[in-house]
Amino acid sequence: MAKQISGDAGYSRARLAINFLGSMRLAVSLLVLLAIASVIGTVLNQQQPYEDYVLKFGSFWFAVFRDVGLYNVYRTNWYLAIVGFLVLSTSTCLIRNTPRMLREMLEPDLVVGSAYDPRWMVNNVKITSPLAIQSASNMVVAVMRGRGYRPKLHESNGGVVVTGRKGRYNRLGYILTHAAIIVFCAAALYNADIPVKLDMLLGAVRPENNFHIPLSEVTKKAWLSDNNPAYRGTVTVPEGQSTQVVYELVGNGYLVQPLPFRIMLKRFHVAYYSTGMPKDFISKIVLYNNEGTVLKEANVRVNHPLTYHGVQIFQASFVDGGSLLKMKRYMFNDPGAGAVDEQARVGQSINLSGTTYKLKLKGFSLDNVVPADAIESQPGAAHKHINLGPSFTYIAQSKSASSAEFKTYMQPITRDGQSYFVQGVRTAFGTPYQYLFIPTGPNGSIGLFMKYLSALQSQVGVNSGESTKRYVLHTFKLVVNKYAPSMTTEAEALYFQSAISAILQLKAYPVPFVVTLTGFDHRWAAGLEVTKWPATVVIYWGCAVLVLGIFILFYLPQRRMSVALRALADGTEVIVGGASSRNPYEFTKEFEGLVARLKSVLQSQDDRKENNDG
Amino acid sequence: MASSQADESLSLTKIESEGRWVNRISKLDLLWFAGLTVTVGVLVDVFNSQFWFWQYVVLGTWYVTLVAVGIHWRAFQAAFLTVVSAALLGIWLYSIGQTPANDVILCYVLQGYAGVMWMIGFLLAATGAYLIYLLTLSEKVGRVATGLTWAGVLMGFIGLGVRWRETYIGHPDWGHVPVTNLWEVLVVFCAATALFYLYYESRFKSRSLGAFVMPLVAAAAGFLIWLTFVQHMDRIAPIIPALQSFWMKLHVPMMFVAYANFTIASLVGLAYILGDRSRRSGGGGILARALPSGEVMDNMMSKAIALGFLLFTIATILGAVWAAKAWGGFWSWDPKETWALIVWLNYAGYLHARTSKGWRGKQMAWWSFMSLWVVTFCFLGVNLFLSGLHSYGKL
Repeated sequence: MAKQISGDAGYSRARLAINFLGSMRLAVSLLVLLAIASVIGTVLNQQQPYEDYVLKFGSFWFAVFRDVGLYNVYRTNWYLAIVGFLVLSTSTCLIRNTPRMLREMLEPDLVVGSAYDPRWMVNNVKITSPLAIQSASNMVVAVMRGRGYRPKLHESNGGVVVTGRKGRYNRLGYILTHAAIIVFCAAALYNADIPVKLDMLLGAVRPENNFHIPLSEVTKKAWLSDNNPAYRGTVTVPEGQSTQVVYELVGNGYLVQPLPFRIMLKRFHVAYYSTGMPKDFISKIVLYNNEGTVLKEANVRVNHPLTYHGVQIFQASFVDGGSLLKMKRYMFNDPGAGAVDEQARVGQSINLSGTTYKLKLKGFSLDNVVPADAIESQPGAAHKHINLGPSFTYIAQSKSASSAEFKTYMQPITRDGQSYFVQGVRTAFGTPYQYLFIPTGPNGSIGLFMKYLSALQSQVGVNSGESTKRYVLHTFKLVVNKYAPSMTTEAEALYFQSAISAILQLKAYPVPFVVTLTGFDHRWAAGLEVTKWPATVVIYWGCAVLVLGIFILFYLPQRRMSVALRALADGTEVIVGGASSRNPYEFTKEFEGLVARLKSVLQSQDDRKENNDG
Repeated sequence: MASSQADESLSLTKIESEGRWVNRISKLDLLWFAGLTVTVGVLVDVFNSQFWFWQYVVLGTWYVTLVAVGIHWRAFQAAFLTVVSAALLGIWLYSIGQTPANDVILCYVLQGYAGVMWMIGFLLAATGAYLIYLLTLSEKVGRVATGLTWAGVLMGFIGLGVRWRETYIGHPDWGHVPVTNLWEVLVVFCAATALFYLYYESRFKSRSLGAFVMPLVAAAAGFLIWLTFVQHMDRIAPIIPALQSFWMKLHVPMMFVAYANFTIASLVGLAYILGDRSRRSGGGGILARALPSGEVMDNMMSKAIALGFLLFTIATILGAVWAAKAWGGFWSWDPKETWALIVWLNYAGYLHARTSKGWRGKQMAWWSFMSLWVVTFCFLGVNLFLSGLHSYGKL
C-alpha cells in the first residue's frame, strides 16, 4: 500500500516536472533570459588577450569576470545550460503534443462530437431556409466545396451535419519548426567540439599557454586527435612554407589540431582597386599528403573557400611573412662616415653597431595608395590616388629605454619640383606620425644631404668670422661643386631651401641616425582558417525545415466549418459554425462572406423555385 | 422533373465554382502571370550558361513571389512595371552614352542620386499629409498622402535600380548591388517600409495609421539627408572582398524588408496604446475617431510581425550560409549576429505568447512597440556602438 502511494507520488512528481518543462511560461521565460544573456557578449569584446581585460577592469574584477566566464560567454556552462533547458523544454512540448496533433491531422472529419457542433464553435449563425433539407444540404455542400472545405455529410439524429476543414496540415508547421530547432541545436553542439570540451574537463587535454615556442616543444597534452570529428582552427603560413597543423584558441592558450594533409602556400597576392582599397586576397595553395603526392592545387579567396574531403580552407588574414629588407644607415653625429649596410627580415631585431640602439623591424608594405591631394597641393586632384610605393616600419629602442617608431618610404616623393626622402616619426604609439622631409640629390639618395651636413659640422668654428648665412650658403656651394656638379642653378636653389628646412626639422629628431630602404625581397604570410564541420549539412536542412514550418504555421491556418441542418415544417433550419486555429479576425471575415453566400443561395433558390411552381 | 434536377445540379456547379479562388483571378492577373513567365523564360535562355544552381533557385523564388504578390495585391503590378521600365530607361540612357552632365532626364530624375532625393522629398511631404489627414480626416488629403507615399516608393526603387548600374560605370570592377553601406541600406529601408505600409493600408483600409508609421520613415529620410550632405556617403565606392558575394544581394535586402515589417508593427502598437488611452478617456479625442478599431490594429500588428519573422528567419539563415563561406563559420557570435538572435528570440516570444497563451490587446501592443528599440539597436546601434565583423555600416 505504502509502496503504491509513493509510486503515485513519484509519478505525479514526474508529471509535475514534465508539465513545468513543457509550460509556455518556462519557454517564454527562457527565450527572454537567453536574449538578455546574449547581450553581455556583445557589449564586452569577447576572446581578447587576458592582459587587455586586466587593464580594463583591474585585477580583482578581472578575476571575478573570468570566473563567471564573461570573456567567452557563449561557451560557458551556464549559457549552454540555458540553451540546453530551452531544447529540453521544446522537446517536451514536441513529444507531448505531436501524437495528438498527428491524430487530429490524420483523422477523417467523421467524428461529429462537440468539436463539430456548430453551436459551440467560435463563429456561429442560424439561418432558416424554405428549401427542403435535401436541396439545402446540396447547396451547403456546393458552397463549402467551392471554398476548399472538402465537405462531408453525416446523418445525425433526425438531421444532417456537413463538416469540412481546410489547412488540415497546419499543425505540421508546429511539429516542423520545433523539431528543426532541436535538430540544429544538437548539430551546432556537435560542431562546437563537445568531445574536446569533455576531454578538457577530464584533464586529458590541456591548452598550451606559451605562444613563443616551436611546435616540437608544445606539450603533448595540447595535441588533439587526428580523428577529431569537428574542429575550427587557424594557422599562419609564410610563402613557400607548409604546415600540417592548425591552432585552436582556448581561453588564454591554444590547442594543436593535426590535419589529414599538408598545406603549402605557394604565393599570396593582394589585388587593389584604383583607390588603393584591397579588392581581393588570394592564396595559391597546394595540398600534399605525407608521401609528398599533390592532392589538390587551388586558389583560396575571401568568399571562395577550398573544400577537400570535408575539410574547408578559408582565406582569413595576411601578414608580412618575414620579408628580407636591405637598408642603409646614416649617422647624424658622423655624417661624413658614409652609410652602413644593414640587412634583416621583418620580425627580427638588429643591434646597430657603434650605437646603443636596437632596431625592431615591425612591418613592410608593398604599396601605399593615398589620395593625391594628401601629397600635391594642386586643386582637382581630389579624386585621384597615387601609389607611394613600398614602405617599412621599425621601432628604435635604446638601452636607456627611450624608443620611437618610424615609417619610412623607399622611393623619394616629389613635391613642388623637389624630391624628398620621407619618414614618419612618432614617440608615442597611437599618435599621428610627424613627417620628416630630407631632399634627395640627383642620384635619388640622401647622400648629398649627409655630405652637406658633414661639411657644415666639420667646418664649424673654422670660418667663425663669416656671417652664418653666408657660411651656410658657401659650404653648400662647395659640397655641390664637389659631389653634384651637374645640378642646375634652379635645382640648387630649391635643394638648398629644402635642406635648410630639413636641418631645422632634425632638431626634434629623436635618434642620431636615419635608416633608408635600398632593396627588399618581399614575402607574405597568409592566415588560413581550417574547419571540419560534418554536421553543417544537417544544420542547413534544419533551417530549411524551420522556414517551411513557419510558413505553414502562419499562412496555412486550419479552418473548420460545420453546418447542421434540421428539417422544419416549411423548410430547413441551418446552423453554421466555424473556427480557425489562427487569425480569428481574418477568419471572421471569411466566415461572414461564406454565411452571406449561403444566405443568398438558400433564399434566392427559394424565389426561383416559387416562380417555377407558379 | 428530370430537367429541374439537371437545372439544380447545374446551378450547384455554378455555386461551387463561384467560390473557387481561380475565379477571382482577373484577365489582368493572367497577363501579369504570362508576362512574368515570358520574362523568366527569356532570362533563363539568355543567362543559361552563366547560371548555377542557386541562381535558378533565386530566380524561381522571385518568379513565384512576384506572381503571388501581384495577384494578391493588384496595385503591386503597376508599381513593379513602373519601377522596372523607368530603371531600364535610365540604364538605356547610360548605355547610349548619356550622363547626368549632359542629359536632363538623368540629371534631375533618373540617376540614382536624383531618384533618392525625390524619394526623400515625396516621403517627407507624405508624412506631413498623413499628419494633416489625422487631424482633419479629409478624404482628399488622405488620397494625396497615399499618392505621395507611392511616388516616394517608386522613386526610391527606381533610384536604387539605376544606381546598381551606375556602380559599374567607369569602373566595372566596383559593381555591386546598392546595399553595401549605411546610405544605401537606409534608402532600401525607407522605400521598403513605405511600400509595406501602403500594402497594410490598402489591406486594412485604414489611412490614419500613416500618421504613426510615416514619421519614422521621415526620420530615416532626415538621417539620409544628413548622411548625404554632411558625410557624403552617397558616393559610389568599391566594396571590400568580404562583401563580394552572391549571398549579399539576398541577405541584406531581405533583412531590411523584415525590419520594415517590424517597424510598422511597432508603430501600429504605439497607435494602439494611444488610441486605447483616448477611447478610455471619454472617446471624444481625435485618435479615438481617426484610428481603426483595436481589433484591426491588433491583427495588423500580428500580420506584420508574422511576415517580418518569416523574412527575418530566412534572411538570418542566408546570412549564416554566407558567413560559412566568408568567415569559415555559420555563426561567430559577432555582435550583429547576436543582436539578430535577440530580435529573433524576442519575436519568437511574442508569437508564442499570442498564439499559445492567446494574449491580445494592450500588453501585446506594448511588447510590439518596445521591440522597436531592440530592432533599431540591431540595425543601427550595433554598427554605431559595437565593433565586429559587420562593421560596414559605420559612419
